[in-house]
Amino acid sequence: MKPLDRISYSPIPQRPPLKLPNGARMVVWTIVNVEEWDIDQTMPRTVLTPPAGGSPMPDVPNWAWHEYGNRVGFWRMLKVLDSLDIKAVLAINGTAVRAYEPISRAALERGWEFMGHGYTQKNMQKVENEREDIAKTTEAIRAFSGTNPRGWLGPGLTESWETPDLLVEAGYEYVCDWVLDDQPVLLKTRTRPIVNVPYTQECNDVAMMLIQHHSAIEYYRRAMDQFEQIYADAAGSARVMALVVHPYIMGAPHRLKYYRRALEEIRARKDVLFWTGEQILDWYLEARKEKA
Amino acid sequence: MAMIPRERVPYSAIVDRPKLKLPGNGRIIVWTIVNLEVWDIGKPMARQVLPAPTGQPLLPDVPNWTWHEFGMRVGFWRFHALYERLGMRPTLSINARVTVDYPRVAQACRDAGWEFMAHSWEQGPIHKEEDQRGMIFRTMDQLENFTGKRPVGWLGPGLTQTYDTPEHLAEAGVKYIGDWVYDEEPTEIRTEKGPLITLPYSVECNDIPMMIVQHHEAQYWTQKCIDAFDRLYMEGAERPRIMAIAIHPYISGQPFRIKYLEAVYEYMSRFAGVVHWNGEQILEWYLEARKEKA
Repeated sequence: MKPLDRISYSPIPQRPPLKLPNGARMVVWTIVNVEEWDIDQTMPRTVLTPPAGGSPMPDVPNWAWHEYGNRVGFWRMLKVLDSLDIKAVLAINGTAVRAYEPISRAALERGWEFMGHGYTQKNMQKVENEREDIAKTTEAIRAFSGTNPRGWLGPGLTESWETPDLLVEAGYEYVCDWVLDDQPVLLKTRTRPIVNVPYTQECNDVAMMLIQHHSAIEYYRRAMDQFEQIYADAAGSARVMALVVHPYIMGAPHRLKYYRRALEEIRARKDVLFWTGEQILDWYLEARKEKA
Repeated sequence: MAMIPRERVPYSAIVDRPKLKLPGNGRIIVWTIVNLEVWDIGKPMARQVLPAPTGQPLLPDVPNWTWHEFGMRVGFWRFHALYERLGMRPTLSINARVTVDYPRVAQACRDAGWEFMAHSWEQGPIHKEEDQRGMIFRTMDQLENFTGKRPVGWLGPGLTQTYDTPEHLAEAGVKYIGDWVYDEEPTEIRTEKGPLITLPYSVECNDIPMMIVQHHEAQYWTQKCIDAFDRLYMEGAERPRIMAIAIHPYISGQPFRIKYLEAVYEYMSRFAGVVHWNGEQILEWYLEARKEKA
């Protein structure tokens, strides 16, 4: 199905208002992406191009740069999230669940939500069998955490025309590949609908640091500008803001404080909820019923 | 005998390891690496500041060759003066051919007592070497002849490696490498020719990714290095950290950039428990320190 077969255009001010419990205005959720980069493939991102260009394989320097995030960077982020008592969502490749088991364990012990993020960090249009890739991801998470993941984020947010259908058939209840709104929305599939929860390509360290090459402080500034605007917009109807990080980027020593500062300032606001993706999902499904 | 990284070393979370100790309650080791290279005018240039009009790669690439050459003629001497003034002896990551093409520069580093870390024969990805093992031996031999001491460290050009590079390096007498930027502590990796130690080099506080790839403004150098230092210094109270600073004379030796490098050392000089060590010193410390914790 093409996108407009799944969802029709809808202007946000013309929808029935969504209300959060206890007078809260908006929800913030933060997603930590943990990936495993296969040394035998082209690296998904690079920090250092080889002398005189080209893309020689294997690409050890960029593999190591990413691996740093899981050995060192993640543990720095964890302290920040612990100190602010925030449950993050771990978007994790199926293979990474075991490859980086100490990370999975830390997330499980804290009650973070595990979200499916592809079996490997490979474009969903290039995996050989999409259904199988999704099933293997689900199984890897279930085997470790004891629960099926309810949410899905495609690697690099990639989808085929069929991905939402396959996700519902595999038991997923929400997806966040569609960055088309500040509120959750329903997407039709060939069976039951699936909810899309607002993710972000804007307050996202891959886009900001690796593609747009901003200084680290811009993560903080943009997060706060984004927050203030969404907070203002949410006066009449609740909105959702996502903050996305990758341990190999925002977990670098010189960047971490800008993530911490943004979380600290937003955490101090009384009428803002920090929720996981499934909390947003459950709330939205209830809120929809009420307003209907 | 080629191995992928995972076969050389398992994943390890830094929080799960015994803590290393620095002498005298030291908190942070700063490891400065000056990179000196030879860009052969007969080949495509390693980096470009100015792509040719219409973007076609052209040979010879005189403008970009001279851009790099400026570093050897002028920029390097700014570094040299800085480290003389600070009484520091950084690590020199050096293409062995520099000792042939730029003996004046190589001698100045030797006379100043800098550590010579081997950095391939000349600048180009190691994947394209026809005889990689031969090139590595030739590089190590040339530097040994020049300084009287076989280098203990190695940094691949652009940090590049193939799956059998670590074997060749260990066989040629290399003890540590800077190619694996995957940790903040030294680690040991397996090769079929004996172990190698990895030291935490940096692709973050490194003027190539920052200035040439990401196009940051010059003053961001100071901010980024200070932000990294602050964090590592804080964490160093609990577990010593290593901070690498990697520079190139044609980039950070430019008149408009040098002050932002100087400002970093000025900032760090205000803190106690900071040591400036070269790669060999870090290696020796690590080999001892890990015995103590065991």
